[in-house]
Amino acid sequence: MKKPSLSIIIGIIVVLCGFYGCNAYNGLVSQDENVSRAWADVETQYQRRSDLIPNLVNTVKGYAAHESQTLRAVVEARTKATQITVDPANLTPEKLAEYQAAQGEVSQALGRLLAITENYPDLKANEQFSELQAQLEGTENRIAESRRLFNEAAQQYNVSVRRFPNNLFANLFGFSVKGNFKADAGAEKAPEVQF
Amino acid sequence: MALTHRLNMKKCLLSLLALLLTVAVAAATYTPDNLPIPYLQDKRQYVSNPDGILSQTAVDSLNLWLGQMEKSHGVQTVLAVVEHIEGGDTYDFSMALGRKYGIGRKDQNSGLIILLSTGDRAYTILTGRGLEGTLPDAICKRIENRQMLPALREGDWDDAMLQTVRAITAYVDGDDSLVGSSDFEEDDAYALMAFCLFMAVALGLIGLAVWYDNRRKSYCPSCKQYKMKKISSYATTNRSLGIRTHHDTYRCTHCYFTKEIHWDEDIHSHGGSAAAGSALGGSFFGGGSSFGGGSFGGGSFGGGGASGRF
Repeated sequence: MKKPSLSIIIGIIVVLCGFYGCNAYNGLVSQDENVSRAWADVETQYQRRSDLIPNLVNTVKGYAAHESQTLRAVVEARTKATQITVDPANLTPEKLAEYQAAQGEVSQALGRLLAITENYPDLKANEQFSELQAQLEGTENRIAESRRLFNEAAQQYNVSVRRFPNNLFANLFGFSVKGNFKADAGAEKAPEVQF
Repeated sequence: MALTHRLNMKKCLLSLLALLLTVAVAAATYTPDNLPIPYLQDKRQYVSNPDGILSQTAVDSLNLWLGQMEKSHGVQTVLAVVEHIEGGDTYDFSMALGRKYGIGRKDQNSGLIILLSTGDRAYTILTGRGLEGTLPDAICKRIENRQMLPALREGDWDDAMLQTVRAITAYVDGDDSLVGSSDFEEDDAYALMAFCLFMAVALGLIGLAVWYDNRRKSYCPSCKQYKMKKISSYATTNRSLGIRTHHDTYRCTHCYFTKEIHWDEDIHSHGGSAAAGSALGGSFFGGGSSFGGGSFGGGSFGGGGASGRF
């Protein structure tokens, strides 16, 4: 029996590699798509919070007009945060950290605003304010949940991108590691309340 | 020796009993993992009331209303009233519960969790992703402020839950985009389908048997062809034995060979097969009407709803 020539063996190996490469590529594409979808949800929830802020500021203004400094801080933080958007194709860890920092400032400004509302019993008794606050709370909850889901998707994707031999194909096709949300810098310490 | 052994046994049993007692006491603080969900055993039970905080009357009414809500709008609810939960945060607890069981139908994500922890003095209404439009956070808060809170402040847990569910039902009824759960009809549909399939197979088998019987009868032993035709037949009846004997004469259309076939028919057994058929049908449809355990559809929660303390 004739030995199979070297070229045939090499040919088979190349075809197998090709199959594996296609498979790895398709897997990475669908995981990348999952991350993008999770990211879109995160942005939607932050946008939702952003949309609630003017209404909240106006309601508080009606009862606590002289807290203008705190109110202005919220509006400014919001404006700054809306300027920073991240393209899902470019979710690098640096970009994401920048986005998180900007949104974190909004969270802190909002925290201070809600803290001062404690001093206004009339405001707290206002049903509209109570419902607005509930909406804000619900939105914060949604943000937390969407961030959790995003981190899960990003982690799964990152593991595939970095694992051998997928990393060879990932490099070849330009799939790079994506960033994820770190625990908020202000989360471990409660917002300061000054009297 | 035997005595010490027995003493050891007794000690063992006592310590086991003590352990059970501590478990029973500790169980008053619930985690999402050990909170009993009666719905899983009986799909008419939406209320988890392990500490007996709600009266049986209230539980029955709540189960009835929540059952109607699931039937008409596909909203799958878990309502839990407990003494204490681990951590004391009703929102976190509800989210964990929703994640664990996947409450709500998957296609419209219409899960709803209502949790009241009387010892922690905290409550949450948690809406599934698909319910956020029907019951926005502000509306949940309004229901809590107007319906739940006044009763909670008076310690009237029954009324707090009844009022809350009634208010929620009103909002859900106003939303036509929510499609009713076809779960109950689905069971019947499956039973019907299974029955039809069974009937089709049975008829097919009978048809096959008849065809085979005819073919066998048409076989001509002389020219080995299937060309025999029945040309005459008569029957004799023996009433005392209850047997009718048929005498069929067949002739081959090819070689004109003739053969006679005799077969007995039991007169008494008439109608037997019909009775068997109806009995089968009865048992098939009877199975659908008994209530089994429910199952959750895999709905997801995005964090919508409202929580509060009193």
